[in-house]
Amino acid sequence: MTNATPAPYRQPSRSRRSWKVVDWLGSKAVAPWIFLAPTLLFAVVFFILPLIYATYISFTRWDGLQPPRWVGWSNYNYVLTVDPVFWKTLWNTLYFSGASIVIGVPFAVVLAYAFTRSRGQVFWRSVYWLPMITNVVAVAYIWRFVLDDRYGLVNRTLALLGLGAPRWLNDPSLALTSVVLIFVWMQLGQNMLLFSAGLANIDESYYEAARLDGAGETQIFFQITLPLLMPTTLFVLITNFIAGLSYFALNLVLTDGNGGPMRSTTVTGLYMYQTAFNDLRMGRASAMAYILFAVILVITLIQLRVFRRGGVEAH
Amino acid sequence: MAEVRSKSATGTAWAILKYGLLAVGAIIMLAPFGDMFLGALRTPAERLSQPPAYWPSDPQWGNYLRVFTELPMARWIFNSVAQTSAITVLQLLTSAMAGFALAKYRFAGRDFLFRAILGAQMFPFFLFLIPVFFILRYFPLFGGNDMLGQGGSGFLNTASAIILPFAVSWYGIFMMRQFFMSLPDELLEAARLDGASEFRIFVQIALPLVLPGLTTLGIFVFVYQWNEVIWTMTVTRTAPALQTIPVGIYLLRGAFIDQSTLSLQEAALAVSIAPVIVTFLLLQRFYIRGLTAGAIKG
Repeated sequence: MTNATPAPYRQPSRSRRSWKVVDWLGSKAVAPWIFLAPTLLFAVVFFILPLIYATYISFTRWDGLQPPRWVGWSNYNYVLTVDPVFWKTLWNTLYFSGASIVIGVPFAVVLAYAFTRSRGQVFWRSVYWLPMITNVVAVAYIWRFVLDDRYGLVNRTLALLGLGAPRWLNDPSLALTSVVLIFVWMQLGQNMLLFSAGLANIDESYYEAARLDGAGETQIFFQITLPLLMPTTLFVLITNFIAGLSYFALNLVLTDGNGGPMRSTTVTGLYMYQTAFNDLRMGRASAMAYILFAVILVITLIQLRVFRRGGVEAH
Repeated sequence: MAEVRSKSATGTAWAILKYGLLAVGAIIMLAPFGDMFLGALRTPAERLSQPPAYWPSDPQWGNYLRVFTELPMARWIFNSVAQTSAITVLQLLTSAMAGFALAKYRFAGRDFLFRAILGAQMFPFFLFLIPVFFILRYFPLFGGNDMLGQGGSGFLNTASAIILPFAVSWYGIFMMRQFFMSLPDELLEAARLDGASEFRIFVQIALPLVLPGLTTLGIFVFVYQWNEVIWTMTVTRTAPALQTIPVGIYLLRGAFIDQSTLSLQEAALAVSIAPVIVTFLLLQRFYIRGLTAGAIKG
């Protein structure tokens, strides 16, 4: 590189043909496919292939290491007719999901109503969203301290009030409800936000008309706000319920992965996870996954009909 | 006169009720965090006394530093930041590209693809745990595997195993499509007349205009991935070098069993939450848009 004389100007070394290829790639007909290429590749490797693979696995007996052995429907048969735990976990799943909307949604509606009519919204929002942006391990362990049988914050407070001390996470008949309460705490901010968006969509003139007619705040809330909020309510109920059916991260971390005490907090997703990654029964776990998926699908379809009838489309 | 007074009285009652509700709720939201913050300051002696002291009389601020010396916290933070950022960048890129193609081009199969992407969101995460784990495990020609995927460990115990399954988000594509739809076609057409290639139009014209959308999606993905536990835990159980903060704290739970280390655990939890809280408080208005976009526009 000692030659200092400037090289004569040369055309870019690409041939005419390679320019044509670039033009072709950047044309309106081809470019969209290039934009879509990563997504399509992903869809094949991480969506279509896994679904087919999981279907195959569900018909085999496989520990993940030795070659799988074809066993036909026997995994499905075992899970549905022999396994006593599976049905219990399915009930736990429905209870978890159902209770979390029954307890959580009323709180979210009332708080959203108060929130949209208050000052200092940035402050309230930050506070109510804190649990939602906290990782599930922190949520679970924080609450294990708070719900400690003897010296947790909650039972200390109850003791001050002269009330008894429930064994929140250690009493098999109470543990799942405790998990639901923690889950409600986690989700409250998000649901509040959806409801306050719904409340903002209600025209102020309804309220003015009602006030002119002499309606009180309670009357307005029950006879105007709630009916007009119906589409949002249905949306939140349905999406929360369906999301709850496949949720298990909190149950897993809270119980160190065992879903105890006495399987009382084992939802089907967690049972599937344990069957796969603790017991190494990949076939049986895959069958469970598909059965749970079928349950969710049926519930989703039923709810979509309710959805339509409830006028959510107008949303 | 009397009527006016009674009206303002109900107004006051209503205000008390309203702010009272919000305040009680706020205490329930915050108290557990306060409990953790205090817990991290207790001495082992305070934890062991009967009954254990609630307010730390000799606050152990050092516990927040011990987290960095006695736990692999620096490594966890690095992993959380690196993996979360990689996933966020990848997802923004793939979502923007696919969303742009679906919003601004007409081609055979476009509507089918769009419907497929909406439909794909119906498939829950748990359905993919087992097959994706083994697809990565037995991926041919990677991580010592031969053509048939045997012999090595594939992508397991590599960062790719954590990142790749989150490279594309159906919801992200849907959201970016909505943002690109709002751009006027004339703008892109004008650039085409000037001879710009489609890639140039995408990078130099379309992307800058949807920057708010990208920011919203970016924060959304970042918060979600920072807090992701199940998948990362599954693929890094035997790879401590790749564990993130929440996963590390969970898998190390056996070390926090006695009274002297519980305070350390609470301090570690506080450290795991702090970065998200800061990000979130700075950027929360973008986050609101992300959460409502799916519900309201969908």
